[in-house]
Amino acid sequence: MTTHTVAERLQQARRGVGVAGAGPRPRREPRPGRRRLSARTITLILFAGPSMILLLLINLYPLLYAVMQSLRNGNLLNLGPWVGFSNYLRVLTESSFWQGALFTLVFTITGVFGSWLVGLAFALLLRTRIPAGGLFKVLLLLPWVVPVVVSATSWNWLVATPQSPLPILAHALGLGNVLFLADPVLAKVTVCVFKVWISFPFMMMMMSSALASVDTNVYEAAKVDGATSWQSFRHITMPLVSRSTYVSWILMTIFCVNDFPTIFLLTGGGPVNATSSLVVMAYRTVFQNFQTGPGVAIALLMTLVLVIVSVLLYRQIRKVNIE
Amino acid sequence: MTQQSGAAFTRRAFIGIAGGVAASTLLAACSRTGGGGGSGSGGGGVIKFWNMPWGGTAFNPLDKQITLDYKPASGLPKTSYQTIQWANFTQTFSSAIASNTGPAVSSGGGTQAFQFEAQGKIAYADDLLDGWKSNGLYDDFLPGLVDTMKVDKGYAAVPYNLDMRVLWYNTDLLAKAGVQEPTDWQSFLDNCAALKKINVYGYGTSAGAGSYTGSHILVSWMIGNGGGLFDENQQPNCVTPENTEAMDFVLECVKKGYVDPRSSTYTSDNAQSQWKALSFGQGFDTGGLASNVGGAVGPKLKVGTPLKSPSGKQGMLYFPNNIMMYKNTPSQKGSEAFLTYYYKNMAPLWTKATGIGLPPLKSIAATPEFQKDPNNVRIINEWQPISKTWAAPGSNSLFLGVTTADGTPAMDTFAQSILGGKVTSKEALTTLQGALTDAIKQLKS
Repeated sequence: MTTHTVAERLQQARRGVGVAGAGPRPRREPRPGRRRLSARTITLILFAGPSMILLLLINLYPLLYAVMQSLRNGNLLNLGPWVGFSNYLRVLTESSFWQGALFTLVFTITGVFGSWLVGLAFALLLRTRIPAGGLFKVLLLLPWVVPVVVSATSWNWLVATPQSPLPILAHALGLGNVLFLADPVLAKVTVCVFKVWISFPFMMMMMSSALASVDTNVYEAAKVDGATSWQSFRHITMPLVSRSTYVSWILMTIFCVNDFPTIFLLTGGGPVNATSSLVVMAYRTVFQNFQTGPGVAIALLMTLVLVIVSVLLYRQIRKVNIE
Repeated sequence: MTQQSGAAFTRRAFIGIAGGVAASTLLAACSRTGGGGGSGSGGGGVIKFWNMPWGGTAFNPLDKQITLDYKPASGLPKTSYQTIQWANFTQTFSSAIASNTGPAVSSGGGTQAFQFEAQGKIAYADDLLDGWKSNGLYDDFLPGLVDTMKVDKGYAAVPYNLDMRVLWYNTDLLAKAGVQEPTDWQSFLDNCAALKKINVYGYGTSAGAGSYTGSHILVSWMIGNGGGLFDENQQPNCVTPENTEAMDFVLECVKKGYVDPRSSTYTSDNAQSQWKALSFGQGFDTGGLASNVGGAVGPKLKVGTPLKSPSGKQGMLYFPNNIMMYKNTPSQKGSEAFLTYYYKNMAPLWTKATGIGLPPLKSIAATPEFQKDPNNVRIINEWQPISKTWAAPGSNSLFLGVTTADGTPAMDTFAQSILGGKVTSKEALTTLQGALTDAIKQLKS
């Protein structure tokens, strides 16, 4: 058997068939009537079984327990009496929940796209030859590598008091007494910028690896055809890194929605709940108000939204693959 | 066909044994989780004592040594020691107690005993305290202290160390502003005005991430005016004339610029940095402020006298931290015997300046080592007698409902609203009343 076209060879390669042709694979005909498991399958099941059971226990049990908690009115020690969906209703009818949801949305959108833009810019910069590029790369990774507790303490030092560098700078620039954390709007901005600062190295790494896989010959060909730098970026770079971009967006969306320490360590959710995201609200409801029902209900609602967003973005990835 | 290997096991036999081992391990693990009871806590007949890092680095090693030096009487269990960090301590205790692997004796959060008492996990200290009446320990407690631990069914815990909130001032800055130590609300206000002229804040406080001092001081103003959060029926009663007047006073301080506008987001460290930077000349903090600030400024910080309100009343919020016993113990007698030993031998925790809060016993407060610090002496002599718990003004004994106010989001929001100065006292108190009422309803349902 001979292969004819590149497309056919690629198709075969995807199916795992040798390019030269592996010949027809012997397929066992299904037996009529009841299917019997082969000894090999049974062995595999027996080997994998204990791990599968453990995985189910480790993952499924806490999830089911959390669902139970959200349907009951309990505390950290007891599940409490059954209350049905009243915890969900209570949470969804509270204005503070929607205030928290709005901030979570703003925080996530800023965190995802802000860090992606900065990360992509640095990834493109790192493709060019810059002096001490390796050192520069390591320094850029620091915000991601350093523990959040340390970063939050540094940012607190940077903005919290009148003697902090940024308020001094703002004062010197004639902006007056800028309250980076005490003003509700500025506190939101500060927390979002902090998130972008912490997250952009991750995006930079994702984009760097995606850019590294792009064949430079394509750019040279485009240049020969008269494409400008922007056209090359718009029509070559962006489509070729789109898959990695969507993956990084999914991951960063999950990181942002579930991000507790960044907010809690810097502002504690204040002032007057201005920076209280849903995850901070869930924590405070469970561990400071000792109300597990509403707190877990908030967490599960967040999970539901995250699953929906992830599925939508994943579909986008599949679409890119097909194209 | 069965494949034979060089080993003695066939593949089928191997799978069978592996499955059996896995199943038995799983079952053993499950039965261990489900079990517990007395032996869970005892760790095989040992009284587990869990204590918090109440002081500096010297505290827990010395505390451990005192604990492990305990020689139980014949037939009573020995003691083990575990330091529990403040980070996530609520989760640590809750999960351990829920799984019957918790301590037999512990300290913890100031209202922790009342939470676990409501869950039926606490062994009441009535018998222990009765025993202490005969050996002099009971009478050694500072006045009114033991009663703060009393709930309907008995004593939920034993007072351990006092976490006080007091007025501090910087002697140099007050002298520079040309004013004296304040004695009442008006002189406090006058001092603030004088300090403002030299660009110093007269009402230093903090209510940011993890700092509850701001809300504690607001409640202290209420208590100092004859008010507070809970009535005699242990129900929230926030919107009272006394509380409104107190919050109006604070709002006046905020609006006149006597409070740093960043206070609502200051952490405890931020506040201390402001004392160090000579930005705070007068304000409220814990009893350990001077040593926490340290350096050249620390010795300049003095504890003031309790302020008299316009109605002539005085009062402050304080936290009688405590040690509790749990029902899950290998021996209740053992728990009580250990605590008796501990209270008789814990004085070095204060006399060796480990940084723990103020002592609950008069005999420790009377030691020369303790008397060396005039700030501590003033706190014990002037502030402790007028201090009240969260339960004020209805009662002095703590109860489960106070957990809805102690370090909760409702109190944070209240403190940040008032210190932000963008609400009226009635609005803020009404919101707080609603939040506390709702939280108590949740607790009871």
